[in-house]
This record gives sequence, structure tokens and C-alpha cells, in this order.
Amino acid sequence: MRFLVCLKQVPDSTVKVKVGAGGKAVATEGITWSMSPYDEYAVELALERKDADPTTVVSVVTVGSARGRDALRQALAMGCDDATLVNAPEDLPALDVAKALAAVAKEMKPDIVLCGKQASDDDQGLVGPAVAEFLGWPHVGMLTKAVSSGDAWELWREVEGGHEVWKAKPPVVGLVHKSDKEPRYPSLPGIMKAKKKEIPEKDLASLGVTASSPKIEVVAMELPPQRGGGKIFKLDGDAKAVAEQVANLLHTESKVL
Amino acid sequence: MRLEPSETERELALAVRAWAEGLGGRIARGEREGTLPLDVVRELGTLGVLGMTIPERDGGLGLSTVAFALVLEELAAAWPSLAVGVSVNSGIVAGSIVRDGTDQQRAKWLPRLVDGSGLGAFALTEPSAGSDAASLKAIAMRDGDGWRLNGRKQFITSARYAPFFIVFARVSPPEPARPHAGVTAFIVPAETMGLTIGETESKMGLRASDTSGIMLEDAWVGPGAVLGDVGKGFALALAGLDGGRIGIAAQSIGIARAALERAIAYGRARSQFGRSILEFEGIRLAIAQARAEIDAARLLAHRASRLRDLGEPFTREASMAKLYASEMTQRVTYSALQLFGGYGYMSEYDIERYARDARATPLYEGTSEIQRMVIARSLVTAA
Ligand SMILES: Cc1cc2nc3c(=O)[nH]c(=O)nc-3n(C[C@H](O)[C@H](O)[C@H](O)COP(=O)(O)OP(=O)(O)OC[C@H]3O[C@@H](n4cnc5c(N)ncnc54)[C@H](O)[C@@H]3O)c2cc1C
Repeated sequence: MRFLVCLKQVPDSTVKVKVGAGGKAVATEGITWSMSPYDEYAVELALERKDADPTTVVSVVTVGSARGRDALRQALAMGCDDATLVNAPEDLPALDVAKALAAVAKEMKPDIVLCGKQASDDDQGLVGPAVAEFLGWPHVGMLTKAVSSGDAWELWREVEGGHEVWKAKPPVVGLVHKSDKEPRYPSLPGIMKAKKKEIPEKDLASLGVTASSPKIEVVAMELPPQRGGGKIFKLDGDAKAVAEQVANLLHTESKVL
Repeated sequence: MRLEPSETERELALAVRAWAEGLGGRIARGEREGTLPLDVVRELGTLGVLGMTIPERDGGLGLSTVAFALVLEELAAAWPSLAVGVSVNSGIVAGSIVRDGTDQQRAKWLPRLVDGSGLGAFALTEPSAGSDAASLKAIAMRDGDGWRLNGRKQFITSARYAPFFIVFARVSPPEPARPHAGVTAFIVPAETMGLTIGETESKMGLRASDTSGIMLEDAWVGPGAVLGDVGKGFALALAGLDGGRIGIAAQSIGIARAALERAIAYGRARSQFGRSILEFEGIRLAIAQARAEIDAARLLAHRASRLRDLGEPFTREASMAKLYASEMTQRVTYSALQLFGGYGYMSEYDIERYARDARATPLYEGTSEIQRMVIARSLVTAA
């Protein structure tokens, strides 16, 4: 069984977001980058299958700048077997990213391609379904668990108030959601092993991909207006008196009544 | 000699920091209940921390002492009670077996120190033999092809969690000029008949770390139990403590760093006289001093670690690092607590815990007075 997990490096969730000089993008100088959180869940889901069956191979791939190697190394340190970097401009449109990932999947022939359901930077959620489309494979979204059953896979997806179990024969694309099984920490031996692994590079041309998809242009980006500080009122009296004063304040102060 | 950690050494420490940040409520619960949850120890095993410094041929990672010091600093910054258990397990106990163990002993016991099923213990101190460890009274008598041990050990870290103990006992009485004569190290499995663990001590700090006495009453161990040579146990103990002292220095540094970080974060949010208390010079001087002392202690610890990694003598440097770092962490935790004002005294904030935990560091693995003795002896006899 072979998994290919597609992952993206994004600004770490602890980064305090600032708008960059041009007013069209987040400032990225000196910030910390990490693997996008849903992608971490995707890696975990694949590694859990590897824990259950050590013959499972888990490959990871990212499309973007050389900086993305760090995210790939993190995945290797968590226990993935190999990693591939597809060199491409940072602002490559989502559909072209999907084309490149589909091309890598065609070369590697995994049984299951996993993507996080969306990346935490632009939250578009486009790449996963597009990869499935370019491959002509079925895809299942909101995946939280994958269990092999005979020659097919039981794919658990989260739905309102419960989960559905779908069955799919590989090859299939899964879009992974957050689940109870927190992604594992990279272990120290994992980090040491990951250091010794080569990360081969590919580029769009060698994959036969030409960047041709429509580009989204961000017209302007600004932080939400600063919220005014709250006010604390000291109210005295019994419940009735306090309730009256609160109603009064909702009318005069916050003007919601 | 390069004092700055390498990129890899830093990366390993950051990985442990990321893990430790996830400990969350388990720390407060462990401290309240006075136990180290075994699942935390198991996770450390999975993470690879416990076997960090054990050579690769023995199933460890063969990483540097500097990396281990950085990792212990991270563990202590999160949870000092955990850090001391790991320092003893993976520092002194593992180090002694790697250094002096036979192939069989290494193959048998090292895996028990890295699998996360417990934490190994080092039993030197006795009720009447503390700083003067060479005066220990525990006795080992020949019995069949093995040994019969009798005696009492005091204040043994992780006694409750230990798969085995390194116990020091004498096979012959002290000699006038050689008080340590006859002291021998034994590997004593926890399940040995005649070994009992006393009540857990109630302590000022490090409350989740187990500290207990052990009683040896005709505890029989086989011929494979002697670690190193018969009669050479005291040198083995001192060599173990040399490495252990780097661990305690690292623990002290982690505690101080965490206290200072918390103090600055608290100060940022606290205003008096209409401004952030971080704007007052008196407070700024205190945090500047604290940071300088933390860095100085870390450099001392890393120097001792590098010397150890290079195979050079490092006894004096380890004592200096331990002395300075453990005294430094008293000053830093108290001035951090002071910055919190009255809130620092309340257990709602962690700062009082760090201050209590810090207090153990100038006591164990040789008090400050003993470190000064070691340092001075090396200076006077070298001259
Ligand atoms: C939390 C904790 C965990 C511990 N864990 C372990 C463990 O795992 N294994 C283990 O074997 N032991 C352990 N110990 C014991 C520890 O190593 C001893 O407490 C320490 O060595 C001091 O011995 P003592 O308590 O008997 O003090 P004493 O030796 O009685 O010292 C009393 C005072 O006299 C001073 N003093 C003694 N001799 C001299 C001298 N020659 N010159 C100047 N001053 C001197 C000391 O510095 C101290 O201030 C632990 C202790 C604590 C507190």
C-alpha cells in the first residue's frame, strides 16, 4: 500500500499576522513556517496505516519554493518514507499546483492520495478536489479515518452529528479533516534519519505542466478594525434591579435594544 | 572549542519543546497528586529522549552531551520534576552502564532505560552518608555465586518508577587512608526479594518526582550484578556524578529561563502607576541581570558538555556549571516571583512552583559546598 500526501508550508499558526508593504499580502519576513495543520492530520492518518502495516510506504510532496523542504523534513521526521519538492513560484495558481501534484501522483502510482481539506493560509480548499479531477479518481472529503477492508478502503468522513463510512477501491483521493488522533511529534531518531534523506527536486517543465490557469488577484488586504476595549459596570441590587440596569445599558450603551 | 550548539542540536531541543508544550494540565495534576504519569515517560521513550546519549551500537541515538543538556533544559522549562527523573535515568544511570557495563549488562539493562516503562535510579546516599558518600554503610557479602546486600538508602529519585537501581555497597571495611575502599556498584532489579521501597518523601518542590528510601534486607543478586570492578564502585559513582552535574545545571537553566519568560509575559500585561511595570527601571535591571546570568550558566554547562563529548577531563567544569547554574536559578526564580508581586505567591501562577523546584538544585548530586570543594581541590592539587 502506498500513500502520497500532498502538503503545503504555511505561516505558523502562532505568527502574528501583519499586512505586507504592498497591502496585498501577509508580511512574511522573518516569520516561522510550518506544515499546514490539516496536512499534518493527513500525514498522521497515513502513518497510522504504516504503524498497522509496516510495508506501507508513505511519500510526501509539496509544490513551491525551496523553503518548503522544512515542511517535507518535518514529515520525514514524523516517519514518512520519502519526500519530493516540486520547484515552482510561490504564487502559482491553485489549479496549476493541482496539475503538478496530479503529475507526481501519476509517476508514483500511490493507492491513496491524501491532502488536507484546505490550507490554513488562503483557506481555498481547491487543490484536493482538483487533484482528483485531473487524475480522474474519485475523492472523499472530510476524511477522519481510513481502514483497509479487503481490496477496498473504508473511508470515514465527518458529517453533522456523526460520521459516514464510504467504501472506495484505490486509487482514490482523500481530503483530510481534523480528527481525535492528534498528529504525532517528530521523534529525535526521526529527525536524525530525516537529515540523512535526500529530497529530490522536480520542476513544472519536467512534469509536463505549464502554468496556464487563471490567477486570483488580491486587490487589497487589511486587518480587521481594532476592537474598542470593553467596559465594566458595577451594578448593585437584587436580581430584578440588576436586570433592569442591564436592559437599560443594552439600550443606552451598546444600543442593541 | 565551539560553545554554540549546532543546528541539529538546536533542532532536537526544539522538537522536545514542541512536545513539552503539549503537556498542559498533566503537569498541575502530577504535581498535585505527587506522581509522574507513566504515559508521559512512555511518550519520552517514543520521542527518543531517554536513549539520546546511549551509543548507537547499544540501541541509542549516540547524540552529544550538548544536545542532551539542551533537551533537559527544555524538559525543565516545562516540568522540572520530569527533568530530574530523565537526568538521572539517561544521564547517570545510563552513563554508568555504558561506561562500565559488560556487553551482557548493556544488552540487558540499557533497553529498560529507553523504552519508557520506567526511570532508572541511582542509590548512593544513606541516612548517615550524604556529602560524605564514601562513608556509606550498606554491605555486600558473598553468597553462593552472587551477593547478599544489606543497608538503607535515602532520598532516591524515581525509586517508585525504577526497573532497577544502581546500589552502592561495600564488600570490605573502609581503610584509614582510603575511606572509599570496598565500595562496589551493583545493578539491583526492582523485583529483587529483600528490596523494599519506603514511604515517598513529602517535599518542598519537585513534588511529582518520587524521592524515597529503599531498604535492602538480605537482598540477593547474581554474579552478573556487579557493575565495573569489585571495590572500584566509588570511582564509578564519581564519574556518574560528573555527567549528572551537567544534567542538573541544565535543569537549573531551564527552570530559570521559564521563570524569566513568565515574569516578562506577566509584566507586559500588568500596569501600575499608569504604565506597564516593565517600564520601571528597577524591574528592567532585574530582568537584564537574570538573562545575563542564565546565559552565563548555559555557556558553562555547554563547555562542560563539549569537553565530555571530546573525551577530555571535565570534572571541574561540570562542578562549576552545576554550582553556578543551581545558585543562579535561586536568584532568578526569586526575582521573577518578585516581579509578580503578591500574585507570584499564589499557586494559581506557576512561578511559585518554579521557585520551590529550583531549591533542590544546589542540594542534590553534591551540594554547592561540595562543588566548591571539588573545584578548589582541582586548583590546589594542580599547582
Ligand atoms: C530531591 C532530592 C533528590 C535526591 N536524589 C538522590 C538520588 O537519586 N540518589 C542519591 O544517592 N541521593 C539523592 N539525593 C541525596 C543528595 O545527594 C544529598 O541530600 C546530598 O548529597 C547532601 O547530603 P545530606 O542531605 O546528607 O546533607 P549533609 O551531607 O549532611 O550536609 C549538610 C550541610 O553540610 C554541608 N557540608 C557537608 N560536608 C561539608 C564539607 N566538607 N564542607 C562544607 N560543607 C559541608 C552541606 O553542603 C550541607 O549544607 C537527593 C536529595 C534530594 C533533596
